[in-house]
Amino acid sequence: MKKLLYKEIRLGMHPTNPLFLGLSAMLLIPNYPYYVIFFYTTLALFFTCLSARENHDMEYSMLLPVDKADLVKSRFLYAVLLEMAQVLCAIPFALLRRKLNPDPNLAGMDANVALFGLSLLMLGVFNWVFFSRYYADPQKVGKSFCLACVAVFCYVLLAESAAFAVPFFRNVLDTPDPTHMGAKLAVLAAGAALYALLTLWALRRSIRRFTALDL
Amino acid sequence: MNPLEVSGLTKKYPSFLLDDVSFQVRPGEIMGFIGRNGAGKTTTLKCLTDMVHPDKGEVCFFGMPFSGNQRAVKQRIGFVSGAVDFYMRKKLSAITDVTRRFYENWDEAAYRRWMERFSLDERKTPAALSQGMKIKYCLALALSHRAELLILDEPTSGLDPVSRSDLLENFLMLAKEGVSILFSTHITSDLERCAHRIAYIRSGRIQAVCKTEEFAGEYRLVSLPETPQDGPVKAALIGPRLEKTGLSALVRREDAQRLGLPCVPCDLENAMIHLEKEA
Repeated sequence: MKKLLYKEIRLGMHPTNPLFLGLSAMLLIPNYPYYVIFFYTTLALFFTCLSARENHDMEYSMLLPVDKADLVKSRFLYAVLLEMAQVLCAIPFALLRRKLNPDPNLAGMDANVALFGLSLLMLGVFNWVFFSRYYADPQKVGKSFCLACVAVFCYVLLAESAAFAVPFFRNVLDTPDPTHMGAKLAVLAAGAALYALLTLWALRRSIRRFTALDL
Repeated sequence: MNPLEVSGLTKKYPSFLLDDVSFQVRPGEIMGFIGRNGAGKTTTLKCLTDMVHPDKGEVCFFGMPFSGNQRAVKQRIGFVSGAVDFYMRKKLSAITDVTRRFYENWDEAAYRRWMERFSLDERKTPAALSQGMKIKYCLALALSHRAELLILDEPTSGLDPVSRSDLLENFLMLAKEGVSILFSTHITSDLERCAHRIAYIRSGRIQAVCKTEEFAGEYRLVSLPETPQDGPVKAALIGPRLEKTGLSALVRREDAQRLGLPCVPCDLENAMIHLEKEA
């Protein structure tokens, strides 16, 4: 798996991937829908899969002494590492924002602990929709991404609407840290657990579909 | 033990059937896999390494079924599908650096030797290589992990005559060193130069597996000024084709003697084009 991950980084990684990590700094924008930062992570993964198709990565990888399932696992590992890197890069900017500008975010969820939990769930939804569809037909990467975008936008719409309309979200979760830390940490834990669950589910579905696929 | 044994390979598509394909590649042998475009050559080769899943049949490499032994088998074979068309903008050195990590038997000295023999510059990208050089790079990668069997899908297509000749010479040299080669092509003259045996596939079915010279040796090529009216002669003609000076056709060797037809020995290309016409 280490070798395949090296291949993903050395040959497959799209140049936008590390650049998009820097977009975590958008947490410093005073009023902004912060979910967009994590949407860029999904865009980076789309670019990587698109670039893999254009570079005939599948044809190259199938020649290597690895199982077909390993190819799926390594791409998932790369995706999870990129998503975690985005989260880790965002943490210092969230802390900095609180220090520089403790006012609430008027454009959506505050840059707080709950936002990270909800964003992880968003990434889990993306992984589930995008990769499950992508590995059924890797040539149609655009179609898979469109479907995943619809799912992600619906999720963000619901989450942002809840921050305005649902009292628990508005009064407890959408507040500057460190108030209501217990509830926010619970949302973070639930978000992380659901992210892991959706991603593992997507991995199983993707392996099953890809190994049955004729290339 | 044969490096490759294929038996009863069957794959059904809505408009094509690969039907009960069987053949073997022996140690140190160059086997040509011929057939016209769309005959099933690439589908067969893809079935060998599970890129396409056959509905039926068995593929064994070095006595091991491919299924369940993918990693071990791929360590010992090299598969070259046309020229390198992956990672066209990456340097060859980067592609090699990744590739070499996957092979237990990677031989860096052999890699350097092949790169030098093929006059390949690692600082170049595949996009900067000619078609022939791209194929040579793929071969260099396959040979550097000491592949005992090379499976090559149309390796000489698109090459100029000199590059093709160079490549065939390399195949012969490799076969002498004990490497087995299975290569598909529709350029039959390549096979006459280097293949020990051929497998001929037509419309998804294997028509013949035999020594290269035996295949065409079964037939004679006859040229006639016009279509014969004589019943036995007309019946003996196989795949008659119109030519500038009349028509040409194959006849079986024994028919040529029996009917006393003016004929010349048949080469692989003529055998194939007339047999395809007859089909």
